[in-house]
Amino acid sequence: MKRLVAAVLCLNITAGLTGCQQPQKKPAVEPAPPFKAVGDTVSGRKDIYLIVKNLGSSYWQVIIDGAEDAAEEFGCNMYYSGSNAESDWRSQERLLDEAVEAGADAVLLAPNDAVELAPKIDEVHDAGVKVVLIDTTANTENYDICYMTDNLMAGQLAAKEMLKQLKNSGNSLAEPLKVGIQVGAQTSLSINERLAGFLQYWTRNAPKDWVIIPDIKCNDGDYEKAVTCAAELFDEDPDIKGVFGTNNGSGKGFAKEIKKRGLNDVVLVSFDYSPEVAELIQSDEYTASTILQRQYHMVHTGVETALALTAGKHFNEKFVDTGVVVVNRNNMQTAEIQEILSHS
Amino acid sequence: MKEKNSAEQLQQGGSFFRLMMIYLIVCSIGFTVMMIWVNKLMKEHDKTLTTQICDLVAEKMNNSISYMTSSAENMAAMLTAQELKDFDNVYGQTRFLKGEAYISMGYVDMQKRIYASDSELEEFEKWDLLEIAKQADPVSISPPYRSGLTGQPVFTLFANITYDGNKKGKLFMTYPLKEIQNIAYTETLADETEIWLMNAESDNLIQCAGKDKYAVGSWANAKLTFEKNINDIDRDDYIDWKRKMSDGEDGAALVYKSGQTGYTQVFADIPSMHGWKLVVRIPSSAMSSAMMKFRTIVIVFTTLLLLATFIMFVMSHKRDEADKEILENLSIHDPLTEVMNRRAFDMAAQTQLAHIGRDDGVMIFIDIDYFKTVNDKYGHDAGDKVLKEFAALLKDVFGENSLIARYGGDEFLVFQKGADRAEAEEKMVELNRRAHDIRPANCPEDDHYHVSCSCGGAVCPENSRDFEELKSLADSALYDVKERGRDGHGWYAKGSGK
Repeated sequence: MKRLVAAVLCLNITAGLTGCQQPQKKPAVEPAPPFKAVGDTVSGRKDIYLIVKNLGSSYWQVIIDGAEDAAEEFGCNMYYSGSNAESDWRSQERLLDEAVEAGADAVLLAPNDAVELAPKIDEVHDAGVKVVLIDTTANTENYDICYMTDNLMAGQLAAKEMLKQLKNSGNSLAEPLKVGIQVGAQTSLSINERLAGFLQYWTRNAPKDWVIIPDIKCNDGDYEKAVTCAAELFDEDPDIKGVFGTNNGSGKGFAKEIKKRGLNDVVLVSFDYSPEVAELIQSDEYTASTILQRQYHMVHTGVETALALTAGKHFNEKFVDTGVVVVNRNNMQTAEIQEILSHS
Repeated sequence: MKEKNSAEQLQQGGSFFRLMMIYLIVCSIGFTVMMIWVNKLMKEHDKTLTTQICDLVAEKMNNSISYMTSSAENMAAMLTAQELKDFDNVYGQTRFLKGEAYISMGYVDMQKRIYASDSELEEFEKWDLLEIAKQADPVSISPPYRSGLTGQPVFTLFANITYDGNKKGKLFMTYPLKEIQNIAYTETLADETEIWLMNAESDNLIQCAGKDKYAVGSWANAKLTFEKNINDIDRDDYIDWKRKMSDGEDGAALVYKSGQTGYTQVFADIPSMHGWKLVVRIPSSAMSSAMMKFRTIVIVFTTLLLLATFIMFVMSHKRDEADKEILENLSIHDPLTEVMNRRAFDMAAQTQLAHIGRDDGVMIFIDIDYFKTVNDKYGHDAGDKVLKEFAALLKDVFGENSLIARYGGDEFLVFQKGADRAEAEEKMVELNRRAHDIRPANCPEDDHYHVSCSCGGAVCPENSRDFEELKSLADSALYDVKERGRDGHGWYAKGSGK
């Protein structure tokens, strides 16, 4: 009897310890919240549902603000929601169903997964709902129109700006020169297109002795790693004259290291907008530029088009490049740039 | 004798152990060399096979692209044959034609006026497509770009066309990139084969086929996709492969490892797509599965064979050892009484006496009294049993420190090592007494017959240090005991014996 009790006690203790030692599960991403109306909703107006990639991102907040302004300007009811992480495409799938059930006239969607969401987009479009894609396209032709940055062209513009600034900085066309590149997540289609566009333009237009350092750094979308990658690049090639960051994080990483090391002879070209890059752009000591996307314009035009589609208008194009703006010290204070920056 | 046997046994055991160690070392070396060769052959086989597959796929792709460009050339030839004055009418007629594969068609005249839709005109400017058109000889293909019309990646083919006598213009046809993706798809090895378009200058890549559904149709760069994780040992080969691409060679193959994965990679020129190459990549493991099975079977069977051989050696050795022991036993012992035989005793006793400082002892000749009577009266079986019992009694009385042998039919010789006369006397008295307890097996109860024995001893070194002499002196002492009436014991003294 004593042995039995001892055995049971041991089992309990072991089970308890095992329970305590179980590894902590990764916190699950919260599913997307229900749709929320922006501005007033008036009966009889068209209902447009906006689904963004990531509710917690400032980039997407600009999109939501743009949708609100457009709804007020064009007179429609606007509802929005989105995932809490860009990996969560399933929430967007559910939101599409909810939008259709709610009687949406049109859906503005920035798909988190171009492949997985394609069947649901087909379904929604086949149900008669107008589908306008923003920021990212999908692996289907069954939508009405897509407004996004042509990242291949944006990459080319970045290369053009890099060459211009390197020349303006007094670098000789006949002397060897090195430019380093840092990318974010290697799986990002946008980043890959920007890189491709940059290299396309560079190989065709750069002086023969101006070369890209073959070791392209990859920070996997992590800011701390972006700083480390920048440091490595500067350590490995101390006479580097230009650096290109394909996304916001990469640009920030470069900006931090450039300032830390006082590298005022290094040209930085980045993407999107951050205080770190802005500081270098505004400074007389450093040379920096950034490529700004026009996401406010993207959603604004998207809403206008969605309403036109619901009114029966037909558009020949499926894809509209919303373009980018190159921002540097020379034009940062212009009205146009300030207007775009106010929405960034 | 026992020590010598143990030493001998140890020596023989050691020889076997050394032999087995050599056998194992030789087998291990042989096995290792064999596996190195098998792996090398597998690698060569994979490289050859995957290179051939890559070449075949590249050829298929190029043939299909050639078919596509031929269609454009044929269309251009057909329009040339119509002797057009300009493109206004023909564009109006053909602009809305939907081909099976192409999504739009247009023209460029000698003045670089482009006959195309508004969005296409934008694309001409955006992507500098006129530069690509200039390269048509007789056909050129643009790099992929995103179409405003379809929203999907497309590429544009340009073909030379003659109009208004001898004016040179261009026909262009825009195809979805999916056309090349469809060409690239193969049922066999679908998940393993990667097909890319690669620009030799920028290292830009577009994947046409592969198992990553996200990557197909998307841009990438060879510096990240191929070069970044290449193993250092293969880096120079990769650089050489790239150099051949940049130098405009028609094709080249490369085998390399990226991390743990081995790849075979081949590029082939695309004649009408200036600066672009077709790259086909297959992981070596795709081909290795059959060979891996073969290698596993070789390893398993070779290991089993070596193990079986090893076990056979060991079993054979054990059997030999057992046989040897039996033979040794037979050569040392008297089979009936299991005490030493004469030959063995002589050798052991001589060895004992030869050791300086260890030659103390007593030699005792023992005879069973009237043993012939036992045989005659009770039978030979009974006689054998008496001998066995008597020998057992000798072992019991004199112990393991004595050499005991059956020296003749009913004669026994004992050398009591390290004993003096008093100790030996004590033993002989005990022997004489206890011998009386031995009775033949079939002796009737009313028959009071019992065995007796006579013992004659000689002492070493007092009487002699020489084995033969000591034996002879003990024998003489025995003779005296027999003369005196048997069933007793006696010692050699001068004048003893016959």
